[in-house]
Amino acid sequence: MTEDVLRVNDLSTRFFTTEGQVNAVSNLDLRIERGEIFGIVGESGSGKSVTARSVMNLIESPGEITSGEIWYRNRDLVEDVEGDYPDAVDGEFVDLLALSDDVRRSLRGTSFSMIFQDPESSFNPTLTVGEQLAEAVEVQRRASANPRSTRARTREYSLGNYLLSTVLPSQRYVSEASHERAIELLELVGIPDPVERADEYPHEYSGGMLQRAMIAQALAGEPDLLIADEPTTALDVTIQAQILDLLDELQAETGMTILLITHNLGVIARMCDQVGVMYAGEIVERGTLEDVFDGHVHPYTEGLLGSVPDLERAGGRLQPIPGNVPSLLDHEMDDRCQFADRCPKAMEDCLEHPPEFDAPGSDHHEVRCVLTETEYDESRALPADYFGGKERPTADAYADPGTDIDESTGPGNPPRQPVDEPGGDRP
Amino acid sequence: MKRKRDYQALDSLDTVYGYYIQMTLGKFLVRRILQGVFVIWGVITIMFGLRAVSPGDPANLMLAEGATQALVEQVREEEGLNEPIYVQYFDYLQGMVVGDFGYSWQSNREVEAMVIERIPATIELAVAATIVAIVIAIPLGVISATRRNQPSDYGATLFSLLGISTPNFWLGLMLILILGVWAGLFPTGRRPVGFGPAVLTLAQTGSPSDIFTWLKYIALPAITLGTYFTALITRLTRSGMVDELGKPYVTASQAKGLPAVLVRYKHVLRNTMIPILTVLGLQIGTLMGGAVITETVFNWPGLGLRLIDALDARDWPLMQGIVVFIAIAFVSINIVVDALYAYLNPQVSDE
Repeated sequence: MTEDVLRVNDLSTRFFTTEGQVNAVSNLDLRIERGEIFGIVGESGSGKSVTARSVMNLIESPGEITSGEIWYRNRDLVEDVEGDYPDAVDGEFVDLLALSDDVRRSLRGTSFSMIFQDPESSFNPTLTVGEQLAEAVEVQRRASANPRSTRARTREYSLGNYLLSTVLPSQRYVSEASHERAIELLELVGIPDPVERADEYPHEYSGGMLQRAMIAQALAGEPDLLIADEPTTALDVTIQAQILDLLDELQAETGMTILLITHNLGVIARMCDQVGVMYAGEIVERGTLEDVFDGHVHPYTEGLLGSVPDLERAGGRLQPIPGNVPSLLDHEMDDRCQFADRCPKAMEDCLEHPPEFDAPGSDHHEVRCVLTETEYDESRALPADYFGGKERPTADAYADPGTDIDESTGPGNPPRQPVDEPGGDRP
Repeated sequence: MKRKRDYQALDSLDTVYGYYIQMTLGKFLVRRILQGVFVIWGVITIMFGLRAVSPGDPANLMLAEGATQALVEQVREEEGLNEPIYVQYFDYLQGMVVGDFGYSWQSNREVEAMVIERIPATIELAVAATIVAIVIAIPLGVISATRRNQPSDYGATLFSLLGISTPNFWLGLMLILILGVWAGLFPTGRRPVGFGPAVLTLAQTGSPSDIFTWLKYIALPAITLGTYFTALITRLTRSGMVDELGKPYVTASQAKGLPAVLVRYKHVLRNTMIPILTVLGLQIGTLMGGAVITETVFNWPGLGLRLIDALDARDWPLMQGIVVFIAIAFVSINIVVDALYAYLNPQVSDE
């Protein structure tokens, strides 16, 4: 009954900066089923947002998707692009990376849309919220006016049109009907007095209200896949719960698919059907919620779960993962398990880059760790100072990381970032 | 709202505008107008003080060489030059308030008339230079910002660097020499017709030839005066736009599928324009009085040229009249720009 709506194969996104090549996302595989909420969780800088932006085609210079395929199931799109891009079509799937930028842009808003972390800076401060929502509605209206013609959709609203619209109201991009729909959308996401609120500017909204408005904006195009990039990070805790409730409700009503990106395991546990744990640009463990929370294999997942405050175990020490998020600079990365230098169970086998192994649990459970197939063997463990000493904890230090914290925060080592810090990734 | 910009002067502007957010627009305007009156009074007073301390007897300047002592004495009496200095000051101030700027010592004409007859030429030149600047600078800045670190960006950056560092008088002379004298594309010398009469001719006879003549004469001065301005606005547009393009709302607009043109112009350029309009307005104020060099080089019959003439002849009433007019123009334009800024930026006008 379920079918994949998105299959990401071997996706790599790199940033070519002056300091060197940054491997933000490496050989990432992902499958998202229609109607589910797929969560990606990981520390800041693990490549979560870049993954989302790669799907949206929002990677900007100096970033570049260097390899991979993003297969998107959409029969209408298949019909549209078959002629122009025969290689990009496989059954009901289309490889987005084989399409032109124009075609991909036409999918934004209508096939994929996105909610951002910081609602206050994600709205243009000089346009009313209603106008900005109406723009999103208009994108969808224009697309559905030519339902079968991606080519017509990709025809740009030109500079000439825009200049004309400054003199002729009839040439405006946003129609009156779209404005009315924008008000309905504001009402849908629970904004009181939507008619008046539509004419207000973003700075007149509270953070929670703006996030609701952004959700409304993302829903305007009735997308197949909604990507929510840290949707609650910038909000107060009480508001966070409301926003999650809203997303839950809307998902239940519309049956849309959501890719939820967060560093908050609580949010994952509450919302998601499937989870991918990201570390250093890779998904190190993925599977159903039960696979990851109860049947996890990867020591990093273990560490993440151990660093979440737990009321039932109140009084016990939190167990942060020692060490820092690794550098993603290509020349500083070794071809090994990226977590080995922080891993309490690192063995000689970990010096080779592990493939994804099928792990026990559901069919979807895949883990990028040798421990899936090999038992931890102390005799083959890497010595504690293998990666230059203090970074890597021994089994003892892991249990009581207090001593190791101060030493690792020396010069050259930026202060460690706890997993549940507020604030997410900014590329 | 605090924006980061690489144009230093704007930072201080922002601090000031940050304070304005607290006030309503009406209160703010009243306050600015009072400040403006104070500034103009200061200009008047300084001009009076300079005249008082400058050497030479005004009566001698007013009279032809070789006038008798009795005649000089008579003029001093008539002009009130024998009165104590504070009496002279209040007389003078009183005249200013009721709009009586006195008579030019040199030509014995009313100063108001001499100033007013030169205003149109100066405004024409200032507006033409501004149009040149806007038409060239904003597209150039946009191209530069959207094709960052590509050849067109380097070209635009080089152009603005040259524009900012080229002295006006030199550029004017070169344009006259190359385009005017050698190529013969543009006429040189004093223009035969102003904009007003040219439009009048068009209205009366339907012949646009005067307009074309006017355009030919104003082209080179406008380019000369506008070059620095163009370069400045290009740089501001580029840096402002680069700044805005990096903001999350741009990504958000792209994510909702908005056509690139709308993202770039309706969203990004709109936000970039807010600080640019401020600078634009302030620059027009400067152009009103700052065209002295350009007007001299092109023999352009504006206020700047008349100011130079007045300085040469030590014609104090005329000098004062022109300087006070420039001060009034500058202050008024500033107030308008401030009001415009508040109008454009909803966060400032919000009460």
